[in-house]
Amino acid sequence: MKTDKKQFMTGAEVVVRACVDAGAKMMFGYPITPGTEILSHWIREAQVNKDLKYLQTEDEIAAGFCVCGAVLAGEKTFTATAGPGTVLMQDALSMADGMRLPVVVIIVQRGGPSSGTVIYSQQEVNLAIHGGNGEGLRLVYSPSNLTELYEYTRLAFNNAWKYNFPAVVLSDGFLMKTRQLVDLGFKIKNFSAEPIISENTQKNIRNIYTFEEELGEKLARDKKDFEKMADEVVKVVSYKVVGCEILIVAHGIVAGAAKEAVDILQSQGKKVGLFRPITLSPFSAKELNDLARQVKKIWVVESSMGQLRDLVKQNLDVSVEIDGLYKPAEGIGSDEIVKLFESF
Amino acid sequence: MLLKILLSGDGGQGIQLMSDLICRAAIQRGFFVSHIPNYGLEQRGGVSLAFIQISDNEIAYPKFSKPDIAVILSPQARERVRNYESRIMNYDIGEHKDVLAKNNVSQQSYNMFFLGLLSKLLEEKNILQREKVFELLKEKLGKKPNWEENKKTWLLGIKN
Repeated sequence: MKTDKKQFMTGAEVVVRACVDAGAKMMFGYPITPGTEILSHWIREAQVNKDLKYLQTEDEIAAGFCVCGAVLAGEKTFTATAGPGTVLMQDALSMADGMRLPVVVIIVQRGGPSSGTVIYSQQEVNLAIHGGNGEGLRLVYSPSNLTELYEYTRLAFNNAWKYNFPAVVLSDGFLMKTRQLVDLGFKIKNFSAEPIISENTQKNIRNIYTFEEELGEKLARDKKDFEKMADEVVKVVSYKVVGCEILIVAHGIVAGAAKEAVDILQSQGKKVGLFRPITLSPFSAKELNDLARQVKKIWVVESSMGQLRDLVKQNLDVSVEIDGLYKPAEGIGSDEIVKLFESF
Repeated sequence: MLLKILLSGDGGQGIQLMSDLICRAAIQRGFFVSHIPNYGLEQRGGVSLAFIQISDNEIAYPKFSKPDIAVILSPQARERVRNYESRIMNYDIGEHKDVLAKNNVSQQSYNMFFLGLLSKLLEEKNILQREKVFELLKEKLGKKPNWEENKKTWLLGIKN
């Protein structure tokens, strides 16, 4: 782990640094804006660091299944994709769900549906968590700045290999293309990768079942493991929530803007706080419900028409009014959020 | 202190280069800096924007709608940033056409003129040292063709 001080880096450079520091040795990928620079920076890194390998596959389906295969052999590896590529990636992610493979995918959200726009969105929340056929037993991190992008990419590898669930780092094109001073001077110990099937051994890891009951029992076991993992990995930030009457819920880069807005609003004497899930899956239902009991209203703020809102609703067991600012595929700045509470 | 700068021009005019140099010079003075480029699908000919923020504190969100300083290097860019009204200063190429023509500045060096203007303004605001910008500029372009013209045009911007 490097202990160098602040550096001026883009999000894509931060991801590559995090993957290298996590011990990843290989990237499989198919380029798509705004995630292409992850592949190109990895290739550049591989020119100087001969331990690193890469393969540009024919599409995202191949990239995803290559990662599935490589992790079986104990190789720490990953892929990165965006938008329509995230759709194609579901086939492999679903296999990783079913076979409990430590597959790591960096998703760089862009506007949808279809090719949409090439820069920014928060419309891949549902895909990241529930995109495949199955139950969506995946670990999904939503970082809101470049330092967090580094930290949660590292944790995605560690927890994927520790708990044997696929892990997604859900970012976006703004985060990936932004250049900021990043402080990478913190230490994270790597969880080591061991072959899931060793050479010269036979082991049948199934992704197909003859009897309905067999699959049902397997999924019940997986769900139990997932819930056990949840206690250890779930991450949430409750910001300035003491005494607040309105609770903003936001994730990812929008949560960065919301945090700024909460500072401004509280300086005006307004009782507005922020609940920010860092892990979207598993979701921190307890903290949300504790806060929901205290507030008069929840305001969801997101660059989608309600994917985060639906997640919030799924996890609420308290009756509380929900309103929101929904701007699919458009950025949301702090000034816009402050404006929402002008008459409050 | 938080200063928001929006640079705009046609793709290929060197907007992102200007942005890079300003950011690095501000970092040298110990400021937090954020830069995000914005361009469309076009390989060339589209509008290129750079959103820069320079602050005493960490910057939470990379974009903004109201810049303090806006720099406009082409008519197409002017159209695009119409909604981003600047609060302090607007540097529009339309207002500097005569100086650029009088000094025979070629189109390829327009960005150097505006980099000069900005270097002077930002030095007055204690955000960077113009010498630092020049040092970084020389590092980047010093060995490339047209260096003399670029240098001359940057100095012309400083004087205006």
